[in-house]
Amino acid sequence: MPVPTVGFTDSRLANGLRLIISEDHLAPVVAVNIWYGVGSKHEQPGKTGFAHLFEHVMFQGSAHVGKAEHMALIQAAGGTLNGTTWLERTNYFETMPSHQVEIALWLEADRMGTLLDALSQENLDNQREVVKNEKRWSYDNRPYGSWTEKLLAAIFPEGHPYHHSTIGSMEDLDAASLDDVKAFFRLHYAPNNAVLSIAGDVDPKQISGWVEKYFGAIPANPNLPVALPDMTLPPTLGGEIREVVPDRVPLPRIHWGFRGPIFGDPRLDALDLAGQILAGGKGSRLHKRLVRDEQLAQDVALFSMGLVAGCSVTAGFATARPGVDLVQLETAFWEELEKMTREPVSDDELARAKALTEADELGALQQVAEKADRLSMYATLFDDPGMINSILPRYLSTTAEQIQAVCRDVFVPDNRLVLTYLPVSTVDTTLADEPAAE
Amino acid sequence: MTAERPIVIADRPKHGEPSQYHFPRFEQNELSNGLRLISVHLPGRELVTASLVLPSGAVDEPSEQGGLSSLMARSLTEGTEQHDAIGLTEAGERLGASLHAEAGWDGTSISVEVPGARLEAALELAAEVAMSPTFPAADVDRLGDERLNDLLQARADPRRRADDGFVNTIYAASSPYGRPSAGTEATVPGLDAAACAALHARRFDPARMTLIVGGDLEGIGGDIRTIAESRFGAWERNSAAESATTPRVKSARDERIVRLFHRPGAVQTEVRVGHVGLARRIPDFHAVSVMSAILGGLFNSRLNRKLREEKGYTYGAGAGFDMRRGAGPFAARCAVNTDVTVPAVQEIIVELEAMRSAPPTRDELHAARDYLVGVFPLRFETPPAVVGALAGLIIQGLPMDELDRYRSAIDAVTLEAVHEAAERHIHTDELAIVLVGDADAILPGLEAADIGPITVEREELPGQSA
Repeated sequence: MPVPTVGFTDSRLANGLRLIISEDHLAPVVAVNIWYGVGSKHEQPGKTGFAHLFEHVMFQGSAHVGKAEHMALIQAAGGTLNGTTWLERTNYFETMPSHQVEIALWLEADRMGTLLDALSQENLDNQREVVKNEKRWSYDNRPYGSWTEKLLAAIFPEGHPYHHSTIGSMEDLDAASLDDVKAFFRLHYAPNNAVLSIAGDVDPKQISGWVEKYFGAIPANPNLPVALPDMTLPPTLGGEIREVVPDRVPLPRIHWGFRGPIFGDPRLDALDLAGQILAGGKGSRLHKRLVRDEQLAQDVALFSMGLVAGCSVTAGFATARPGVDLVQLETAFWEELEKMTREPVSDDELARAKALTEADELGALQQVAEKADRLSMYATLFDDPGMINSILPRYLSTTAEQIQAVCRDVFVPDNRLVLTYLPVSTVDTTLADEPAAE
Repeated sequence: MTAERPIVIADRPKHGEPSQYHFPRFEQNELSNGLRLISVHLPGRELVTASLVLPSGAVDEPSEQGGLSSLMARSLTEGTEQHDAIGLTEAGERLGASLHAEAGWDGTSISVEVPGARLEAALELAAEVAMSPTFPAADVDRLGDERLNDLLQARADPRRRADDGFVNTIYAASSPYGRPSAGTEATVPGLDAAACAALHARRFDPARMTLIVGGDLEGIGGDIRTIAESRFGAWERNSAAESATTPRVKSARDERIVRLFHRPGAVQTEVRVGHVGLARRIPDFHAVSVMSAILGGLFNSRLNRKLREEKGYTYGAGAGFDMRRGAGPFAARCAVNTDVTVPAVQEIIVELEAMRSAPPTRDELHAARDYLVGVFPLRFETPPAVVGALAGLIIQGLPMDELDRYRSAIDAVTLEAVHEAAERHIHTDELAIVLVGDADAILPGLEAADIGPITVEREELPGQSA
């Protein structure tokens, strides 16, 4: 049951804009997706949260587009849209009925070329407030909401570009001036720092013509790419890091973190399959033991966030059932991970994990938005959009021995971060562990 | 590199010509035992979705057994006469299939997504789950316990507390929609395997159910009707099966009130403003859809424009009608920073009143209609979306050409129709304002604003010091 190959063309405009087009006429829809090579890892000390704040500013209008008009035009054309910020990049995307693609291209070009013509202090202040409410909503006023920030801060040392999360510090955002924000745009938002992927029901010739017409005159920034500091890290944390986090939660939850192989390293593929076998559903080892058989946990998860330099973040969590001894829960978790380091997974487990991975891939690639986003991702991070077709064969050729080997590298005692979230009522704050520092 | 860029793009492109679009064509058949079969051939969609749908759900269960439909559905995959839970999961995984059963307010479904070549084998598993579940007592009890723990989490999570507190405030105690569909601390402990088995026996009947299959049906190794007959044909009719009920829905009140759930030190307030709303089968469904989009559906809806883009009070504000077999809730919703709670509530009320007091502008009408009509094809890109839309028609008892009529019906909505829909269905005198936030910070301003009588709930929160 082979997954169909994604065909695409890959070219560059004279100003450096990379254009990837993938034709697919199954539905009358087209995805437009731009990845800018700027994420929170590019932020300077004292200016954290800028990349994300900037993502908001990108919807505040440009020379020929009014505030919030971007959304209005896309939605009136029957399209959907959004933008997201991650450690490595910022992306913007629209899914359009096929006959409405041109307006999306024009809007993306207008803001890439002329955003600063429209940027005002008032709009910046407004979006700063919106972002603060986003932080309150997504992190501060959410049970266990601080775990991603804490995980990144502990796995990456102070000063490392991945040390802080995309939402950044509110003090830094408060200090952001209009000039800071303008400088950020001038440096990073240039055609030679962007990949534009278009997937779906298109005529590639017509698309190329429109892209040239709208994006062609935007000048490249010769000062790119921006040099990042050396991001390499030792493969493990070099010890066990523990922190107790009192929170407004009724049930304790343990969050685990590990340094894992970087994105692109085949060992991370093997670790993904290990995650599937350990926690990928009702029949997985951790779910079966912690949730079903011993009923220590309400839920359990284990997964990796692939990052291209230093290390990836492999993360897990389990929410304890009421009254459960957390030592017992943690012990059972480690035992299952250690078992993975001692003996290879069975042929049946591996075959099931691969069959699910294959079906997931088939499901993902039948959505033009996902296809376009992956083309942009592989082009931005690896200069190789063809990875959209080579990643699945890599998974399918992974062996039980490779899985065991990566588990031996990652699931070791001196590579453990343990964040224990406890109900505030059960924590004597005078005795709580001090946050671990690396 | 700091040189200003030239103006690049002066001319805004015109919209292209739309190609003809219609909802994917489907075939309807009936198997020998009365099971209805709907099949949609979607060329190139090799991951096929199949869903077995029953138009009965949580709304049809006795209130003292609240949550039973949900528990029964989740227990279906805990074991069959042929497989235990793990065996069933593993058999599915070997096919690359994920098997899933769930019950909502109005319907129950058993669904599977699987590469087409293995559809028949996956349907065999789905048939087992539908026809011969064993409801192992220990596993049903475990799922019940998990639900109780989930309720603890729901109480601690400000969003979920606001949602649950809101429906609990607007519906009379006799209405099913006043509680969460998966049951409460009061009802879940009384549910068990025997009750699940009894409900299954009472409800499941091939002649009341529909199998919907969508995807590339040329790659499934045969004719879908023959395959369905071979997997489900032996399932005997259940002539004793009960039919869906007509829900009795009653509003709790007829005046404006404020209910504030105290969360000491909360940095945001979760806000819900609304009342009992509408059922899905209403004559002015399309006018209500356009009106909701203008009020709180589009990015540039009145609520989001005001509360987010003008004031910066929130990450996002919206409003809408959750339409069910009976009248579901209508709510405006957002989360705002604590110190602007009162002005945010006031702005919401102003917008709701404005929606009633005059027709929208012509621009607003066009923006909403163009969006709803234009986005329609995007909603049905993949098999799960197409199958889900058809399941919605079955569960709500709507005509099978409903989706074909949608775009012209939306296009025909007028300014007056939107205004009438707002006047008829938004009741600004009967608003319940439900807030989850720091009462000590909010209360003085709230009292001064004189919005309505205020009740403060200083409830015990598990795990949180008072």
